[in-house]
Amino acid sequence: MGKKEFIIRRLLQMVITFLIILTGLFFVFRLTLPDPTAALVMEGLSAEAQAMVRARFGLDRPLWQQYFIYLGNFFQGEFGMSFHYRSAIAPIVWEKLLNTLVLMFPAIIVSYSIGPLLGVILSWRRGTKVEFSGIVGGLFLRSAPVFWTGMIFIMVFGIWLGILPTSGMRTLPYEAAHFWDKIFTFDFLWHLLLPGFTIAIYYVALPMLIMRNTMLEIMGEDFIELCQAKGLSERTIMYKHAARNALLPVVTQAAITVGLAVGGQVVVEVVFSWPGLGREIIQSVRTSDFPMAQACFMLMAGMVMVMNFLADLVYGYLDPRVVYQKGGK
Amino acid sequence: MSKKSSRWKQYQPYIQSMKAPFKAIWADPLGRPGSILFLLVLFVAIFAPLLATHDPHEMNQRVEGTAATFIEGQWERMRVIGDTPLNATAVISPGESFAVGREGTILHFDGNRWNKEESPVDTSLLSVDFFSSEFGFAVGENGVIIKYDGHSWTQLESPVEVSLNGVAVPAPDKAIAVGEDGTIISWDGNSWNLLDSPATRDLMAINMVSPNSGVIVGDRGTIIHYQDGEFVNASFRTFMDGTFRRLNAVAISDEGFGFTTGERGEILGFDGEDWYNMTSPESRELTGVGIVGPEEAYIVGIRGIVLKFDGERWTRLGLGYHRSFRGLDIEDGYGFGVGTDPYINELSPPTWEHLFGTTHLGRDIWSQVMYGSRTALIVGIITALIVNIIGVAIGLTSGYFRGRVDNILMRIVDIMYGLPLEPFAIILVLIFRPSLWIIILAIGLLTWRTNARIIRSQVLSLVERPFIKAARVAGASDLRIILVHIAPNVLPLAFLQLAVAIGYAITAEATLSFLGLGPPRLYSWGTILHAARLSGAWRTAWWWVIPPGIFISLTVVSVFLISRSLEVLTNPRLRGGSTRAPRSKKS
Repeated sequence: MGKKEFIIRRLLQMVITFLIILTGLFFVFRLTLPDPTAALVMEGLSAEAQAMVRARFGLDRPLWQQYFIYLGNFFQGEFGMSFHYRSAIAPIVWEKLLNTLVLMFPAIIVSYSIGPLLGVILSWRRGTKVEFSGIVGGLFLRSAPVFWTGMIFIMVFGIWLGILPTSGMRTLPYEAAHFWDKIFTFDFLWHLLLPGFTIAIYYVALPMLIMRNTMLEIMGEDFIELCQAKGLSERTIMYKHAARNALLPVVTQAAITVGLAVGGQVVVEVVFSWPGLGREIIQSVRTSDFPMAQACFMLMAGMVMVMNFLADLVYGYLDPRVVYQKGGK
Repeated sequence: MSKKSSRWKQYQPYIQSMKAPFKAIWADPLGRPGSILFLLVLFVAIFAPLLATHDPHEMNQRVEGTAATFIEGQWERMRVIGDTPLNATAVISPGESFAVGREGTILHFDGNRWNKEESPVDTSLLSVDFFSSEFGFAVGENGVIIKYDGHSWTQLESPVEVSLNGVAVPAPDKAIAVGEDGTIISWDGNSWNLLDSPATRDLMAINMVSPNSGVIVGDRGTIIHYQDGEFVNASFRTFMDGTFRRLNAVAISDEGFGFTTGERGEILGFDGEDWYNMTSPESRELTGVGIVGPEEAYIVGIRGIVLKFDGERWTRLGLGYHRSFRGLDIEDGYGFGVGTDPYINELSPPTWEHLFGTTHLGRDIWSQVMYGSRTALIVGIITALIVNIIGVAIGLTSGYFRGRVDNILMRIVDIMYGLPLEPFAIILVLIFRPSLWIIILAIGLLTWRTNARIIRSQVLSLVERPFIKAARVAGASDLRIILVHIAPNVLPLAFLQLAVAIGYAITAEATLSFLGLGPPRLYSWGTILHAARLSGAWRTAWWWVIPPGIFISLTVVSVFLISRSLEVLTNPRLRGGSTRAPRSKKS
């Protein structure tokens, strides 16, 4: 089975998965929740007026028709109307998605560039105090809930020292013509520092520990022995031969982490009042804004799936031994 | 018998593989502290009701005696000076004051600090006054009268048994005390005697400018003037204005003017002849009045109220006091306001009483954290078991039967991988209601996917082993092969996944509770942090934020440490001594 075929197969599978989740969500929402018109129709409206509102939103049609209308709209980028904002959802969630991404990616890039390096050092210093404290410290960083470290950082840097902003993306009030105008400023970076750092140190431990484990495994391999026999220096063996091979699971994990971070992000956005998708979905639950919650969730699920797909691709690219068979791993 | 023993033999592999993980955990240098830590948390969770010092829902109250010092027109910060509420204070000179309160408390201020004096009584003392630093009286409940001679207090015989609310000592041989039911008693230099009273209502306070002149106030607007041995004007009706409300305190200046104040913010002024109503900026109970001069006077009240008179009007001073005043005395521009009732001990930093301090509602954080450990472990363990049972079952089925079964199950796993946990739980809460079961359900429904995959791949490799093939050839049923031959071999891996799942579930529970998705009346470490964030006080109340987080981290670390030692068991390549590069060959 060729590479191309694998990719197509995997893509198809992704679309089907997405459709299943979308369908499941649609029916779960429509069957378990009270009449969605209840949120729209004002109390005391006459029966005829209520029927008119229903007709306008297409709620008088049978459920399966509504489903296909929804499906069609969804793939045209029409996510419906928000009950809370009383406007179209699509422009709102796309902006929130971008806000989420500009927070998430820098943080994960930082942690995945530092983490593996630390992992190499730990494996190098195997059996020493450095390794021991590195493991315990790494485990602690990974165990401390990310919202809690965020709160501690806000207390220390935002309140006690008073040097870093603790909420939002920009100092209010600000004017930005469009999204990139908002992002490419010093003020934005300044706001990114604290939440970004919080996420980064949470995710730094995982690549570090994985790197260490894989390094230890690889150092037992024959080719390392060969390198030693060749008389290469310890450093060269470490960085050039062992680390390069050990990177594989780390890279795969990186893509999976990005997928997981989509969900984990919610809590960071809440703590730092970052106007991203996560904060939006929490708010939509509070205001019973079902269409909004639905759209946010589907975007997040979509992101997770794309990331998992990328992880598979990267894995296949980095490790030629992977046979593209039966849909991957 | 033989059948029984053969059945016993079947379980032998289980027992063996059950023991192995525990041995591995205990042998590992990180696993041992990890398991000790975990047992500690388990201990806390089991004995939470004993370890908790308070009811976590209770709004803890506190009783103290507090004093706010007034010096040269300035009010200073309210300070705690004793552990019982104080009812009255008397300033003898700027360097010497007394305060009396509940349980016979007598506090003496020597210019620097308040010292507790030995008291001959244990009933509540309600009023105190001095002629000089060597002569004074304090009176209280049950007609108690005690005398100060410059060194110590002695109890005197009292002619009455009702509560005495006020006392004034204008001369060594002249003192008057007033009390319930219109009681008025007088000191003649040797003993206290009951006087004929013109009033029947409760009398609350007395102030005398000279041995021959004074004012008594009391319930239902009673104002009695004392003039040369006579009680006159025994009714509010005879004055220009009056009130029906209880008057709590009165002060008359040497110049002859004065004020009286009482419940519901009532203030009356005295111009030397008549009492007249004054506009009050306050509607709560006022308890004390003190005069500095014709253009400066103060009134104190409950909940830290301080009002100032500037010669024309009373205005409220915003001094940030919260605790109630019961009494005020100002002498020569120097004075004290004393008091406090039970108040809610809100946002208290850690003390011996409250080890982790209190919340904004006065709830004990230590107790909340103790109870929180229960929620964390219950959710952690139940969820991990659910996750593991589903994961192992699916992994075994999928790996053993392969083919179509495997394909369907793995596609379901793929779908599960598309669902992000936190948003999924949020949606569940939107559909149902916040509860512990929603959290367990959300984590349980989603996280078995990893277990299933890992177990499956292990089973896939096991199935190819000769001993399985041999069993199959011997005619063993699928169920038997799975349960007897395969399951014991995936058990260590399942144990590892169990530990990982516990850690993951505890973190997830804390996260979801922090987002406010947990049940509202049940304490968990996440809900404590949620409440802290919701109150807004967390930015300064570090004692509210740090402990729950530390507990979450330590618990999860302990489980991680355990899982790491199990990892050594399942992946022998991680074993090895302290050599830099283990030279062991590929197994």
